[in-house]
Amino acid sequence: MNPDLFSTRSAQLQSTTRRQFLHRAGRFSLGAVALQSLMQQSRAADPTTVDPANPLRAKSPPHPAKAKAVIYLSMSGAPPSLDLFDYKPELNRLNMQPCPESFLKGEKFAFIKGTPNLLGSPHKFEKRGQSGAWMSDLLPHTQKIADDICVIRSMNTDQFNHAPAELLAYTGNMRSGGASMGSWVTYGLGTENQDLPGFVALLSGGSDPTGGKACWGNGFLPGAYQGVQCRSVGDPILFTSNPDGMDRETRRRTLDALHALNEEEARLFGDPETVTRIAQYELAYRMQASVPEAFDIRKEPEHVRAMYGAVPGQASFANNCLLARRLVEKGVRFVQVFDWGWDMHGTGEDNDLLNGLPNKCKGTEQAWSALVQDLKQRGMLDDVLVVWGGEFGRTPMNEARGGSPYLGRDHHPHCFSMWLAGGGIKPGVQYGTTDEIGYRVAENKVTIRDLQATLLHQLGLDPYLLSYKFQGLNNRLIGPSNEGRIIRDILA
Amino acid sequence: MTHRCSSLLSLVLVATANAQPGALTNSKVSFSREVAPIISSKCYHCHGQDEDSRKAELRLDLREEAIKEHDGVRAIVPGKPEQSALVERILSKDKDDVMPPPKEGHAITPAEAAILRKWIAQGAEYEGHWAFRAPVRPEIPVLQPQEKARNPIDHFIAAGLRPAGLAQAPEADRHTLLRRVSLDLLGLPPSPAEIAAFEADPSPEGFERAVDRLLASPHFGEKWARPWLDLARYADSTGYGSDKLRLNIWPYRDWVINALNANRPYDEFSTDQIAGDLIPNATREQRVATAFHRNTMTQNEGGTDDEEYRVAAVKDRVATTVQGWMGLTAGCAQCHSHKFDPISHKEYYQLFAIFNQTEDADRPDDSPLLPLPTPEQTRKSAELQAEITAMEAESRKPSPEIDAKQLEGKRAELAANKPVEIPVMKETPGMRKSFIFNKGNYLTPAEEVQPGLPGAFHPGGDGPVDRLALARWIFSQKNPLTSRVAVNRFWSQIFGMGLVETEEDFGTQGTWPSHPELLDWLAIQFQSPKAEGGLGWDIKALLKLMVTSHTYRQNSLLTPQGQQKDPRNVLLSRYTRRRLEAEAIRDQALTVSGLLGKRIGGPSVYPPQPDGLWTIAFRGVEEYPTSTGEDRWRRSLYTIWRRIAPNPTMATFDAPTRENCTLRRVPTNTPLQAFVTLNDPVYFEAAQGLARRILREPPGSTEDRLRYGLTLVLQRPPTATQLDALRKLVESELAHYGGNIEAAKRLSSSAPLPLPPDANAAELAAWTAVANVLLNLDGFLTKS
Repeated sequence: MNPDLFSTRSAQLQSTTRRQFLHRAGRFSLGAVALQSLMQQSRAADPTTVDPANPLRAKSPPHPAKAKAVIYLSMSGAPPSLDLFDYKPELNRLNMQPCPESFLKGEKFAFIKGTPNLLGSPHKFEKRGQSGAWMSDLLPHTQKIADDICVIRSMNTDQFNHAPAELLAYTGNMRSGGASMGSWVTYGLGTENQDLPGFVALLSGGSDPTGGKACWGNGFLPGAYQGVQCRSVGDPILFTSNPDGMDRETRRRTLDALHALNEEEARLFGDPETVTRIAQYELAYRMQASVPEAFDIRKEPEHVRAMYGAVPGQASFANNCLLARRLVEKGVRFVQVFDWGWDMHGTGEDNDLLNGLPNKCKGTEQAWSALVQDLKQRGMLDDVLVVWGGEFGRTPMNEARGGSPYLGRDHHPHCFSMWLAGGGIKPGVQYGTTDEIGYRVAENKVTIRDLQATLLHQLGLDPYLLSYKFQGLNNRLIGPSNEGRIIRDILA
Repeated sequence: MTHRCSSLLSLVLVATANAQPGALTNSKVSFSREVAPIISSKCYHCHGQDEDSRKAELRLDLREEAIKEHDGVRAIVPGKPEQSALVERILSKDKDDVMPPPKEGHAITPAEAAILRKWIAQGAEYEGHWAFRAPVRPEIPVLQPQEKARNPIDHFIAAGLRPAGLAQAPEADRHTLLRRVSLDLLGLPPSPAEIAAFEADPSPEGFERAVDRLLASPHFGEKWARPWLDLARYADSTGYGSDKLRLNIWPYRDWVINALNANRPYDEFSTDQIAGDLIPNATREQRVATAFHRNTMTQNEGGTDDEEYRVAAVKDRVATTVQGWMGLTAGCAQCHSHKFDPISHKEYYQLFAIFNQTEDADRPDDSPLLPLPTPEQTRKSAELQAEITAMEAESRKPSPEIDAKQLEGKRAELAANKPVEIPVMKETPGMRKSFIFNKGNYLTPAEEVQPGLPGAFHPGGDGPVDRLALARWIFSQKNPLTSRVAVNRFWSQIFGMGLVETEEDFGTQGTWPSHPELLDWLAIQFQSPKAEGGLGWDIKALLKLMVTSHTYRQNSLLTPQGQQKDPRNVLLSRYTRRRLEAEAIRDQALTVSGLLGKRIGGPSVYPPQPDGLWTIAFRGVEEYPTSTGEDRWRRSLYTIWRRIAPNPTMATFDAPTRENCTLRRVPTNTPLQAFVTLNDPVYFEAAQGLARRILREPPGSTEDRLRYGLTLVLQRPPTATQLDALRKLVESELAHYGGNIEAAKRLSSSAPLPLPPDANAAELAAWTAVANVLLNLDGFLTKS
């Protein structure tokens, strides 16, 4: 990306907004006063204050930022790292031998009962790229970005059910009610493009993540920071289409009439909120044009769509990866792509390691690899941080629920792999290790808190200071204790 | 007394104007208002009552500890700032020496340092937190000749304006007043007939009569249920992963509406909800009220530990109770002693132990349940039971005249005649043991605790400490918080901001009251028995006192003076103009369009929403059975409330998810809101309805129609600018749709509102476009 794209665009937007404001405000004095105070407020850059007149106004971060935007690819259901990134020859050797009791003592599993058998990976691993990152043959495209990504093999969480684990990973609180990561980021930084939402959630895989809409909810933060779920069918953003029978010109005329009346209202009552409201209706009108344009992947050249495997009109992960790039390119701050369907228990062919997993990979890994390559080609990877991963890991044991003949793995909080790319993260790195059978982290444990702290840090925010007061607590994404730490080892 | 009062108020004013109080003048520094906010937020983390995080064994929250010598050093030497280590450390330039440590991010500003220094120079006197001391009835300030008062509220407000150089605003127009008070008391705008009647009654008692009429309306309870349901985290689903629907909890919502309509005194209204089941000879209604604490979430995802989520629900009950009734935050005390407020780690778990005694245990069926047969169901059940008994007797005869099939049929009929069964609170037969949980984790219990009340406050009565004892303690005349917190919440609903802005936090981290004497006067008035001249917890009387004050009746014009000296209107030199809440915006649109279904109560309804919003993992209910008929257009508080898939329109207008107790909605102003009121089918149906109403009701010219439409939505005489702009729109759209009849038909009709047979589609479309504008007017979306 053109390094100055963000700031240039922001400056343009601000000057446009300012012109329009002045144009309208010039006609009544109190409005102009209100306007001035709005403009003054916008200069304040404290990430913990909310400007009610424009809560999403872009703010410069308190610290130098390595990343200006985030694309978070949430693999909902939790992919089995032991079959993708974390190569365990010893586990393969012990395949189908009973899991030693020492591992099971005091452990709770979602479904495994009794003494399960260890389960090696049925997929072949090889070192890839110049960095020699281990990847299985389920990831033919990901191999091509091996030198661009940083694989963390030592992730750790303390939740082993989907909803609490997703809520912890994405809102910092295992129970609902917390503010999501994208909400925190837009609260702290605002967003560059005022004609698009600052935080967009995109869904594929046929279902919401288990944590539900709370995964991109604003929680206790003001509603303006909630993630806007953009859909592939119908309006990308709810209610952006005019009612049936009203064209854009008619909408313009109704808004002109509305403004005439609202401007008089502002003159009569002098309420700055009225001035803001006039601006918001204008913004809505602009969004009616900018949103469909931003979400129309037919605007992309054929070879780019082919690179992702994107086909217009589908609620697919491939389309959403391409959309994520388009949105971030246009100045959206945080895009979270949720892809449901990684819950490989092995209760049937569709979710086992021999059929379900390869199928899932076929439909997705080309797209995430294309995303990293595409961002890199455009020079955007320098300041866009891409995060890939699920909410927890999967057991090195075969689940065999109810004697299922299909190979699968149960929920496992102790270790799993994620990867990061761009945004000031060291490329071509494998960080952290698990023990010989992939049961626990062996070295360089990275907790969910650590990841959250690192992500905020890369955006120029201070994870320890970014807070919002609610119910008497200075709530933070990283939780009340200071256990989360920035993983400096992986910073470029 | 009056003098003291105004000087206090002037201090408050300076504080609100963000100046540097006390420090630069000779006045005495106030510990509560100036010092405590600094040291509690910046020092107590490590030097407060929480023993686990205390550093250097130093406490600054207790005077005797702060002035004590520690290793030859005294943090505070009263009267001698230059000898006080505290002053030296906060001013230190050495980053290893300066306090608070830079990594904590709580740096002391120069203004704050000046305050602390001066406070120590003046003797470093401590005083308890204002809100934890019982209110004392203040004298009512004397008015100045030019000031206007209708009741004591106005005396306090006028006295607060004086030192700021501000004056009361004149009374608003009568139509403005009626719109304002109708929206505030009923959440609905007045009808044209009500406006006409009110304007025709110019007597001084006319407004009071209107207020009485509104307070007696059955829609009063619907409006005032809304903030209470936010507090009660009422929803029609269980929350968490699959967010199963909880279709048996709505009778609680109706209980709230009915109790408010019946004006159940606030103490009884509350006690019923906290402990209705424990009241001797509890009525069915009192048991229904206990569903208040069954609004906690239950986890239905496979593989989760029920005990973990039962504990979470009990914690939620503690948090909601102390926050809702006493404005205290208890969340932190579940992991460690509260760093700021007087709830220790142990006391938290003593409160926990009170709530830890109910039978519910995160079960999928939400048991225990209370069946609520309607009289009709009771009668029918009795009838069927009698028939079945007779048939069973018959069937036992040697040659019965009925067959088994008939009997089965009757039994099935009886089973189908099943009443709603609401989740309620019910004590377990034995006592559950309760423990302090290390770091709040239920898997690491430590010391066992017994039920108990926080020791920093007044003692409770004799007898077992159960929920009923807790309720009695909350409503003791000695409780310093309950009445203050309640009047502040009602005040905030009426005036737009609480006297204590942080309605949810009256602790040391909350905001200082803008009018401490007024708050105390109202609190004492509200809680004192009627026999002693108080209001005896009478909610409607309290609201009447507020809305009949001159303060409430002021106009909302923002003067340059007001804008400059008090832009947020903390001192109330005018009525605070503000946007309506989510529910009222929709209810109002439905009202003026003539579509609103006014039936009160009953199961929640499913107004239209975009497809696919209920697609949730793990086979949660995905079907959204859109309501038809009147239910499509009922008041918004009846809209099904699903926690993880909230109604998009409500969420856009800042409605909370109701996963937690919420005392205050923070209003935003966003473009997504414009999309809702412009394009959401619900609002567009309202536009179609309003267009029909305009074309139907008054015959006449375009201008007559515009006048009618504008008055219907704004309840005030139209201006020339309004009429001109809208006349142009009518003309342009008549021309546009005259040439686009197909588009006209589509714009002016929808499934529930088909094109009337005799309609001129172009005309109806043009007026639908106008109505769409009317329903988006700033003056329509706000209260003036």
